[in-house]
Parts: sequence; C-alpha cells; structure tokens
Amino acid sequence: MIPNLVADPAGPTLADFGKDPLWISIIKALFIFVFLMLGVLFGVWFERKLISRMQHRYGPNRAGKFGLLQSVADGLKMGLKEDILPRVVDKVVYILAPVIIAVPAFLSYSIIPFGPMVSMFGVRTPLQLTDLPVAVLLVLAMSSIGVYGIVLAGWGSRSPYAVLGGLRSTAQVISYEIAMGLSFVAVFLFAGTLSTSEIVAKQASGGTWSLGGLDIPLPSWYAILLIPSFLIYVITMLGETNRVPFDLPEGEGELVAGYHTEYSSSLKFAMFQLAEYVNVFTVSGLAITLFLGGWRAPWPISLWDGANTGWWPMLWFFVKLVLVFAFFIWVRASLPRIRYDQLMAFGWKVLIPLNLAWILLVATVRALQNARSEQPGSVPVVLVIAAIVVIGALAIYFRFDTVNQRRREAKAAEVAADMELLDAEPTAGGFPVPALDLPHYHGVNGRKEVPSGTN
Amino acid sequence: MELYVPILVLAVLAAGFAVFSVGIAPFTGPKRWNRAKLDGYECGIEPTPQPVGGGRFPLKYMITAMLFIVFDIEIIFLYPWAVAFDKLGVFGLVEMVLFIVTVLVAYAYVWRRRGLDWD
Amino acid sequence: MSTLTAAPITAPTIEYGELAPMLIIFGAAMIGVLVEAFTPRYLRKSIQMPITVLSMVGAFALTVWQGVRGVRSAAAMGAIAVDGPSLFIWGAILLLAIVSVLLINDDDHFVAEAAAVPGSAEEDQALSQGGAHTEIYPLVLFAVGGMMLFPAANDLLIMFVALEVMSLPLYLLCGLARRRRLLSQEAAMKYFLLGAFSSAFFLYGTALLYGFAGSVDLKAIATALSTVGGQDALLFIGAATLGVGLLFKIGAAPFQAWKPDVYQGSPTPITALMASGTLIAAFGALLRVFWVALGDLDAEWTPVLWGVAILTMVVGAVLAITQTDIKRMLAYSSIAHTGFLLTAVVATGKESQNANALSGILFYLLAYGFATVGAFAVVTMVRDPGGEAGHLSRWAGLGKRSPLLAGIFALFLLAFAGIPLTSGFFGKYAVFAAAVAGGAVQLVIVGVVTSAMAAFFYVRVIVLMFFSDPAPEGPTIAVPSMGTAAVVTLSAAATVVLGVFPQPVLDLAHTAAQSLFVR
Repeated sequence: MIPNLVADPAGPTLADFGKDPLWISIIKALFIFVFLMLGVLFGVWFERKLISRMQHRYGPNRAGKFGLLQSVADGLKMGLKEDILPRVVDKVVYILAPVIIAVPAFLSYSIIPFGPMVSMFGVRTPLQLTDLPVAVLLVLAMSSIGVYGIVLAGWGSRSPYAVLGGLRSTAQVISYEIAMGLSFVAVFLFAGTLSTSEIVAKQASGGTWSLGGLDIPLPSWYAILLIPSFLIYVITMLGETNRVPFDLPEGEGELVAGYHTEYSSSLKFAMFQLAEYVNVFTVSGLAITLFLGGWRAPWPISLWDGANTGWWPMLWFFVKLVLVFAFFIWVRASLPRIRYDQLMAFGWKVLIPLNLAWILLVATVRALQNARSEQPGSVPVVLVIAAIVVIGALAIYFRFDTVNQRRREAKAAEVAADMELLDAEPTAGGFPVPALDLPHYHGVNGRKEVPSGTN
Repeated sequence: MELYVPILVLAVLAAGFAVFSVGIAPFTGPKRWNRAKLDGYECGIEPTPQPVGGGRFPLKYMITAMLFIVFDIEIIFLYPWAVAFDKLGVFGLVEMVLFIVTVLVAYAYVWRRRGLDWD
Repeated sequence: MSTLTAAPITAPTIEYGELAPMLIIFGAAMIGVLVEAFTPRYLRKSIQMPITVLSMVGAFALTVWQGVRGVRSAAAMGAIAVDGPSLFIWGAILLLAIVSVLLINDDDHFVAEAAAVPGSAEEDQALSQGGAHTEIYPLVLFAVGGMMLFPAANDLLIMFVALEVMSLPLYLLCGLARRRRLLSQEAAMKYFLLGAFSSAFFLYGTALLYGFAGSVDLKAIATALSTVGGQDALLFIGAATLGVGLLFKIGAAPFQAWKPDVYQGSPTPITALMASGTLIAAFGALLRVFWVALGDLDAEWTPVLWGVAILTMVVGAVLAITQTDIKRMLAYSSIAHTGFLLTAVVATGKESQNANALSGILFYLLAYGFATVGAFAVVTMVRDPGGEAGHLSRWAGLGKRSPLLAGIFALFLLAFAGIPLTSGFFGKYAVFAAAVAGGAVQLVIVGVVTSAMAAFFYVRVIVLMFFSDPAPEGPTIAVPSMGTAAVVTLSAAATVVLGVFPQPVLDLAHTAAQSLFVR
C-alpha cells in the first residue's frame, strides 16, 4: 500500500506543505499571478457585460469576439496615457501608495486552496501555494496593509477630496474588517484550525449531531451550518472591498473619485483598479474556502468518486469563483448606494453585536455538545451560562430598542416642529429665503417680469 | 519557515510587477505640460491650499480607529480561543463570556455616548 | 506540523476566591461604566458613590478575611501572588482609596466638561448647567484595581498590564481639575508622555529579561540567574531598563521630574490618591521585582540603588526648600520620602533581615499614606477666590485665623518630618533600623541629614502659619463637607494613633512580612 497513490479523500493538511522544491513554488506563484491578472481582465469584461445585460444593454462588443478584448485595450490605453504628477502631492508617498495597495492584494491569494494533492511534473504537491497554521490571519493582515495604501494615497495627494475619500474609505474598511474577522470565529470553532487546507478538509463531511438518540446529519458546508456567519461575511465582503452598495469612498456625487482622485488614468491608477478587483477575488476565494466547501465538488457532482481528485477540483473552484463574482455584479445592478452614516451605523451597531451574540451562542451549543459526551457533570454550568447569555442579549436588545424608539420619536417630533415653524415663517431656519410673495414672483401690479440680461 | 518561502516568491513577483508598472508609467505616455493640469483637482475651482504635513481631520475618524484597535485585539484573542475551544472545555466558555462582556461594557458606553454616530 | 497545534492544551485554573478583592473592584468599575451608559445624568453621582465605596469596603473586608485565613499562594497559575505583603498592601491601598474617595466625592474639584477649551463659551455653559464627569468614579476604581494588581503580579506581563490599568485612568484624572485648567491639562500631558515613556522602558526590560530567562515569570527569572550563563548583556540591560520603569513610577531621582508638575496640576483629591496609593503599589512591585526575580543579583543592583536612594533623598530635600507652592513642596517631600524608603530596599541580607526591612517599608508606606492624604485634604480647604490657595505666602498666619486646621496641618507636617509621637517617627525608625541592620549605615547617615533638612522646610511652614501676621486678604477656610471632615479626622487620628500606639500595626506588618514574597 503506497499512501501517495491512493486518493486522499480529505485532501492535504498542514503537514503536506513546506515540502515543495523552490521551482514548484515559483511555478505556483507564477500561476497565481497570471491567474489573477487574467482574472482582472476577465472580471472587468464580465462585470461590464453582465451588468449591461441586466440593464438591457449590450455592453462592450467591439474589441474582439463579444468584446472580450475590451479590458486588454483599456489596460493598454492606460499605459499610453500621460502620467500626471500634480504639483501639490507628497511625491514619495504618492508614488509608493499604488505599490503598497497592490502587493498585499496579491499575497492574500497564496493561502487559497485550489485543489487537492496532484502530481506536478512528477512532484506530488497540493494545489495551493502554501498554507500556514495562521493562514486566515495572513489574509486579514494583508487587507490591513492594503488599508495603508488607501490612507497614504489620500494623504499623499494632499487635496481635500482625496484626503476625505481616503479617511472615509479607511474608516469603512476597518469597521467592516472587525465584523469580517468576527464572522470567521464560528468557522474556527467548528474547524478547530486556522489553516485553510484543513478547513476545506473539515467541510468534506458534516458529521452528525445526536439529539435524543437520533443521528441528524449536519450539512458539510459551513455556509449552511453557520448561516448567520456566512450572511454577515457576505455583507462585510462587499464593505471590505468598497463595492456597491458600500462604494462610498468613490461616491462620485460627493467625492469625485475618493482617495485616487489625483491619480490620472495612467498605470498608477491601473494599480488601484487592479488591487480592487484582486481584493474582490480574494474575499470571494475566502468565502469559497471557509464557507462554500472550498474546491470540493458540490452535491450532485460529488456523487462521482473522481470529483474530488486530481485536477478536477480546480474547475469546481473556478466555477464557484465565477458564481460568487457574478453575485457581486448582481448586487451592484440591484442595490443603490447607502448613506455614509447608515453604512457606519450598520457596521458598528448591527453587525458587531449580532456577531458577538452569535459567536457566544455557537460556543455555548458546542460546549453543551462537548460536555454531554465528555464531562456530563458540567452540563448544568453550561446551561446556566447559556441562559445568562440569552437573557443578557435580550435585555440589552430591548433596552437599546426602547431607547432608539424614544430617540426616533423625539427626532420625528423635532422635525415636525421645524416644518411647522418653517411653514409659518420661512426665514426661521437661518437661510436667507426670499419671501414667497415678492412682487416679481407673481407679477403684482400687472408688471411683466424682467428677464435677466436685459436692461 | 519554509511555509513562508512561497509567499516570499509571490511577494517578489507582485512587488516587481507593481514597481515596474509605476516606474514605467512616466515614460510610456505623452508629456504635454499645462499649468492647470498639475493643480489639485477640485471640480474647477482654485485648489484649496493644503497645510504642509497634512491638515486637520475630523476627530470621528480617530475614534473609529481606536475602536478598531480595541475590537481587533478582541478578535486576536478570539481566534486562538476558537481553535482550542474543544480542549479548553467549560473553562474556555466561562472566560470568553467574561471577556466579551467586558468588551461589551465599553461598547455600550461608547454607543450611549454617541461615539458610534455619524452626523 | 507546527508545535503550536500539536501541543496539548490543558485548561488553566483561576482561584477566583483568592483574587476576589481585586475582582470586586474591577467588577464595580465595570458596573460604574454601565451606570454611566444607562442611567440619567442626575442619578449618576448618587449611584456611583455607593458602588465605589461599598466595593472598596467589601474588598477590604475580603482582604482582611484572607489575611485571617492565612492565604499564601500564587494564584492564577502562579501569575498573581496572594501573599502576606500583597494582602497588607491591598489593605493599605483600599483604606487609603476609601479615604481618598471621600475627598473625591466633594463637589468643586472636577471639571464640568473636560473636552471644552479652557476659558471658552462651552466651558461656561457646562459650568452653568452643572455638568459633571461622574466617570471619575469608575476611573478611580480601575486605577485602584490596577494598584492592587501591580504589587501582586508575579509575572512581568501581568505586572505590565497592571501598570497600564493603574496609570491610564490616572493620566485622565490628572487632567480634570476644575480650576487652573491649563495647568491641569499640562500635568496630564506630561504625566502621560513621561508615563508612556517609562512604560516603554518597563516593557523593553521585560522583553530583554524574557530573552535572558525564556520566561516572564519572576520565579523562573530567579532560577535562570543561576542556570543561564553567558547572557549577561541581556540580563543587565533588561534589569536596568525594568528598574528605570519602576523607579519612574515611585518617583525616585533622576526620574522624579514628573512628580511636582503632576501633583500641582492634578485635582487635589487625585493627588492624594496618587501620592498614597500609587506610591505603595509601585513600591510593592519594585520590591517584588528586585527581591524575587533579581534577588540573587543584589551584588549588582545594590550599588545602583544606593546611588539612587542618596540622590533621591538629597534632590527631594534640597529642592523642597526652594518651593513656594504648597502642593509642589509636598511633591518634593514625597520624593524625599521615596528616598528614605529606598534605604530599606537595599538593606537585604538574611531572611529575618529581609523580613524586618519589608515590615519597616510596609509600615512606613501606610503611615506616610495617611499623613499625605490628610495633608492634601487640608490643602483643598484653604481657598482663594480662584481656587485653592497654592502659594505658601497665602498660608501666612493661618494659625491665627483657623487654629484647628493649622494645628492638624502642622501635625501632618511633623509626621512627615518624623517627630516622635507621630506615625512618621516610627516609620522612619523602622526603615532606618532595618537599613542599619542591613549594613547601609552610610545611607542612613545621609537619610538622617536629609531628614533634618526636610524638617527645616516643614517647620518653616509651621512657623509661617503660626508666627506670621495673616495676609490682609487671606484665603478663606472652606467649611468642610462631611467627607472632607471625615478624611481629615481619620488621617489625623491614624497619624496620632500610629505615633503613640504603633505596636498592633507594626505587628501586623511584621506578620505580613514574615513569610516574605511567595515564589
């Protein structure tokens, strides 16, 4: 029995990494790089095409078949544009910012698993660049470094729009990063590891939950098992990547183009666009890995024995990636942009407490499960904690609810009073409003209105 | 350590590409000098003079950043706890409830003092 | 496979019962924050004050109970030492904190709206609306909790956390004086910057010692002193930087610069809390680090601490003479007392000698703490139209206008000077006797000389109060509130009792010190 020749149903674990020769690593890194670059080209085209169809338009259809070469042409055009270095900018920071934002975006992809062990030029290796005991932390770390790019781009531009856009974007990204980080906790609780390959392996089968003698099979994807976590993650991944409906940093109506206002359409600007799309792919890849079963084939296909062996899983991964990306576009086509205060309030006042309560709930249930099987004596303790958690959460919720209600009513009363006052006296608000009965509005005395520009 | 070597390889690739792109940007395009073009963009009005070393910005952003640090550290504590949860047993649960309650106390205070409101 | 995931994890244990005094304080602080969040403004003070005092009284009762039970253990996996000295220090800190809280509870010490620019319209508005930051109560509780954890920490990391928990609320509280806002804010800023700097020193020393011993546990570091060789650079630099951090907190020269400014600018009740509680806590931590972790290294650190002690005594005594502000003078006097206390820290030797020195320090800290809280309480009562009458010339002739108050203040000053029949005498005696027994005779000589110099400026204030003519428009003596009157009475009583009949407390300190620090 040679273990290496038998397809391992659970896929690689952390122990399988760190054994590649350097040239395999280079091939894999090059593959990821090319994959992401082509992905961006394809992604731009796909987004434009799909959103056009959703809006009953054709979208790009001139360059190449189906307009496929459109993004290539756009990329070339960017390279041939004049590279403007505005006079006011802080040159070092201004030039460095695109680099700082682009590099970490690529790095996050190094721990996304594409597939199981395969034979690559005679070397058995997992279809994943590398894996770490703290793999998911790497993604969070890289997105945090990416935030520096945003801040520095805004700061270095030294123009009001860019500074404000940078600050806004930073505040948004870090706010949603907390909710994102919290949404992972439940996954780690169940997987017992932060290594992405092992998390995928854990989603191979859901196991069972015995309840009163009945063995209830649990779903294998964490997206179903931990659906609140997944939903929160989906929301935060939109916020984290500054996508619609959370694309406030680029709110054209208010901030021109946000933090990259001062970057003309040259290759520097291309770096920002690139990083944005790569980040979308990263959060999508992470969603697939942590919640959607990773590279594992979805249910009907998984009935075929060979589905999770060899190079096939890469296909499932790509399909899932395209579908998640299509979801991004679908959201963009459907939802309007939300207001900034709503965005922050949603992140801080809804997602975070919800997340914490959910984590405690999951942990309590899991502790109950463990206590039942291992130390039955501690079951009452866990139950008491569960009761405290639930009661505390409810108490806080109702308290906030009543306070918010009261505040809303007070606000509504205030607005109503204001309106009444303004009705009675239009100048009360402090704005110099011309009286509505001025002669030239109505043409009192039968005089004709004098148009401007005549004498 | 060898786990990190591939990341380094990818980092070199990505950094090389980014630096190359930013580096050649000034040479690939045309150069047509124009004074107005080099001004900061403010929708056509004269650019606001910006103080050297950056101006002031609303305090709200700093509060957000500080709250971020608080919660980020909470997350950093939650991860190892989650990974080792099955081994820690009831003790882990009790301690984490205490910890989260502690953070929530501060959170409730900030909320009530309008620290989370944007106007 | 990394060892991280492979290593078996056993759930640690925490002795909640033994840590209960601290847990009560921290729990009350958190309840205080919730009160701030959820109760209407007008109710806050009347809820906060009982929570604060009751929790402290409860914690004190528990501490006494544990002392009676004879708890001597390293709790929480050896990270927190609940031993004789810890219990004595907890008791002392809690007593002094209760007294200080009575002082803090008085109106008129704290700013109405801290965020308002001094002298601005917002400030006037907040004043006229009677705004108040009732957050001071939870902040004080957090600070006191940190003070309790700091000397009990048996592990450098816990010690650092305690240092921050103790310091951060104090930085804030320093900036909340109602009058002379700019001075107060300056004090807070200075304290914060210098404190953060010293925390960095502490942390750096911790890191270096960790590099040396492979552990932050005090016991493990002590063991490593004899087992690890060839890492002397790490050890010495680490011990030195750690020492800088600790010496800063006790305010020993040459790290004393913050003390006068901070004491002067802070609200006086907070000064009282800092001058008593922080000093005790920091001395406990200093002793634990130098005696437990670096005990076998005493040949190296004793000469340095000798120098520091001499410098501290001389700087404190000499500069105090030149002061014209009463709070600054008390600050320099506090520096001088730090120096006196340091003479016993270096007087190590056999176990019984160490126990003697320790019990002397403990008694001194308690006696000095009460006298200093009382002195600052009196300072709050002598008022000018613009606030407290800080300048010494304003105190001229106070004895003729208000003999009782001046008499009590004179009592505290005499206790500082170490005159017999006051608590200060036995404190100084205990400390100097231990130092002589430990072979630090030269230090004691310097101590006695500087004590005489210090006595000069204490007596000068007394002379000023009783034998000068009162200033024509001299300060008014505020009618003390119940709290302030209680503080002054308690402190004066403690000073007299400890001076006339010190034996029970001396015995208590001796018993507490007998077992020395647990390892």
